[in-house]
Amino acid sequence: APFLARSAAAKTTTITVASLLGEDKPETKIWRFIAQQVETKLPGRFRFNIVPNGALGGEKEVAEASRLGSVQASLSTVSALSGWVPELQILDLPFLFKDPAHLRRVVTGATGSELQAKLAKQNFIASAFIDYGARHLLTKEPITSPDALRGKRIRVIQSPLHTKLWSAYGASPIGIPITETYNALSTGVADAMDLTKSAYAGFKLYEVVPYLTETAHIRASGVVYFAASFWGGLSSEEQVVLTKAAQDGAEYFNRLIVEDEARSMEQAAAKGGKVIQPENLDAWRNGARSVWNEFSAIVGGMQKIEAIASA
Amino acid sequence: MAVLLVLVLANVAARYLFRTGFLGQEELAIWLHLALIALAMPLAYRGPLSMRFDVLRRWLPASFATTFDIAADAVSVTAAFGLFNGALSSISAIGGVSPTLGLPEWIRFAFFVTGGLLLLVMLCCDRVLTGQIRGLFVSLVIAGLLYGSSKIATIDSDWPPSLFMALIAGFGLLVSAPLAHAFLAAACFAPFFGGALPEPALVSSAINGMSRFLLLSIPFFLLAGALLTVSGTAERLVTFAASLVGHRKGGLAQTVLLTSVIFSGASGSSVANAAFGASTFQPQLVRNGYPPAQAGAIIAASSVLDNVIPPSIAFLLLAAATNLSVGSLLTGGFFAGGLMALCLAIAISLSVKAGPSMQKASSRQRWSAARSAIPAFGLGIIVVAGIRFGIVTPTEAAALAAGLTLLLSFAARAEGSSIWSCFRQSALEAGAIGLLIGSAAPFAFLLAVDGVAASLTEIVHSFGSSPVLVLLMANLVLLVAGLVLDIGAAILLLGPILVPAAAAAGLDPIHFGVILVVNLMIHGLTPPLGMLIYVVSGVTSVPASQLFRAVLPYLAALFVSLFLLCLGTLIF
Ligand code: NA
Ligand code: NA
Repeated sequence: APFLARSAAAKTTTITVASLLGEDKPETKIWRFIAQQVETKLPGRFRFNIVPNGALGGEKEVAEASRLGSVQASLSTVSALSGWVPELQILDLPFLFKDPAHLRRVVTGATGSELQAKLAKQNFIASAFIDYGARHLLTKEPITSPDALRGKRIRVIQSPLHTKLWSAYGASPIGIPITETYNALSTGVADAMDLTKSAYAGFKLYEVVPYLTETAHIRASGVVYFAASFWGGLSSEEQVVLTKAAQDGAEYFNRLIVEDEARSMEQAAAKGGKVIQPENLDAWRNGARSVWNEFSAIVGGMQKIEAIASA
Repeated sequence: MAVLLVLVLANVAARYLFRTGFLGQEELAIWLHLALIALAMPLAYRGPLSMRFDVLRRWLPASFATTFDIAADAVSVTAAFGLFNGALSSISAIGGVSPTLGLPEWIRFAFFVTGGLLLLVMLCCDRVLTGQIRGLFVSLVIAGLLYGSSKIATIDSDWPPSLFMALIAGFGLLVSAPLAHAFLAAACFAPFFGGALPEPALVSSAINGMSRFLLLSIPFFLLAGALLTVSGTAERLVTFAASLVGHRKGGLAQTVLLTSVIFSGASGSSVANAAFGASTFQPQLVRNGYPPAQAGAIIAASSVLDNVIPPSIAFLLLAAATNLSVGSLLTGGFFAGGLMALCLAIAISLSVKAGPSMQKASSRQRWSAARSAIPAFGLGIIVVAGIRFGIVTPTEAAALAAGLTLLLSFAARAEGSSIWSCFRQSALEAGAIGLLIGSAAPFAFLLAVDGVAASLTEIVHSFGSSPVLVLLMANLVLLVAGLVLDIGAAILLLGPILVPAAAAAGLDPIHFGVILVVNLMIHGLTPPLGMLIYVVSGVTSVPASQLFRAVLPYLAALFVSLFLLCLGTLIF
């Protein structure tokens, strides 16, 4: 093949990849997988320098670094990129997706392509979408219906969407960095929070918020992306190989997350964590509708939201 | 600074009075803090706040001084070029809008375009006014040539780029350039040696290093410390302490240690504690007959406890980077902190020559001293209880403390001009500390990219895998890393590597985690990058070189406690 001859002559290009978590986590394993796939197809062409454990910074810092040229690839949740592409928040709308398959249909369809084009304009080449799992409600006392949230202080990430959702249920949202969250929950700065199952166990939060209500209110979506400045210097064959590897990697990642969630919940249960089911689902969805209304102008209109809801 | 204070206090008020919070308050506060750091930069490059490591310059004959000054200025000029240029290119490249503030992200970078430019202007004006025009010219030419040539060429080498960065930063340090400038200038040359850190990314990395939410407590604790003195509260607290233990040898120093232990239970930042102690207690200690360097050293050594006794930023970082339980780590921190305080207390009673500062007080005098010190206790209680019972975050507690001391200053009818100078001085100090923390970030980034941490696993296991040997090697690795790395970066880089290595050798991971944090924290007191020493030096004007010497007995005490901790984990 012609590119094999050239790749033997071409210099090895280093790709600096930032990963937020350790070697044993899906966030890093996906890059080992992608690197291996690329190496089989283009031997010696790329060296993936995967830097784990968030040593290169948080999601937003890494996204900035990719635009400024010091990081070439990473994963990111869509919310961390919404400062560049606000329309991404459509994937974060609460109670919009019924299950993982529903989300998968939407991001591999027209909505996904549209968002990828918008990201590319902002110098993020998003080769594939990933699913970090659903966010669930975590509380000190069992809570099954939204009325019980009234007056509770809930830890949220610094995002208008999350703040508005919990305000709609009458809770008081407080922004606390994830590293301070355990402390804040144990001292009582916050009474509740929401997170994915893997992170719930990862941060040992079952020690301070033992009740997990399976609300699955938001499906945390993300992307596998490359920096546009790096991408522009690649041949089209190389782009094809990297894209394919990233897409296979995304499927591998989604599988790992499902396994990780099962393991995480076993770990939580062994340490006294309890899983409860939400009741009064209409009340939960009504609160979410107010967020849909507020964000419809940003994400492209109510019609679009409704279309995705019934996709 | 005042705006920042009002903002954080208003948010606490809003949360409790109206059960709501301002969305974006946190981010706005961080942006204001960035602006403060950028604007303090041109003012803080001279004087004690610049954190110059001046041992060599003082030691060499005076004729070398001019050469040193020119070299140091060249380092500063390079740092200013890099900041200005990098921030300017970032403005167009960064894009995006802050989701919580609705403001474009480039504004953060504009602060540093201004800061870099003003630093350059200020330096030129200073040198021209003092008649060092020729020296200035030479520094500008050297910096311009080196900086310019690094933009057109690169060197291919098998050595990791971060090694060259360390050498350049070390050179800057030796010629007594401001520490932060030495780091920034070194990072500017990263691309020249093949390092993957273009200038805009360098500035972005530094800005993100300064943008951690917990750092926001630093300006407030500095302000509270300054205002305590102006309002006369600090004096009353020390009078009370003196009435209790002043008749004993070194009693006042023991009180400082005890106060630091109490404050450790409130804050998680040793840097904030060092700044607070230095501005509050150092003048009192000196007035009571302690040599200034020893007073500063006692304060710096006591402030190590802050990140060991919970709450602790260090333990939270470690727990986030590894799979260790925060709860267990914090419990371990209590034991370790207690042991360290004990060792320090012994070291103080052995080393302090200052005799009794007064005769034994009568119980009546003690009561009256206690009554007049009530506002100061109130401050401690607000901070400790506020965080312990979860009413406020550490940053908000710091802001409340600052607000309360401001009220006390008004109540004591302190002059408007002295209150104003408190604001100005603490803003400058906070700016200098923030810049240093930020300037270490690009360096940590390069070390991480070079995979320096990964190769350390091999070193740890190089002499065998028995618990004793692994523990010994891990401590040696931490010792070396602690010399040159920022504590937070060292925890994030080394924690995930060393904790599994230790666990594999049969050591208790929680015990090892505590040892890791204690070891790294001690390095806040060791040259060349002894953050706590530089903070104390910055606040008290005592040269860092004198503090490094004066801290030796307390450093020894802390190493003894580290040794005891290691022994403990091997035996139990
Ligand atoms: Na503490
Ligand atoms: Na050090």
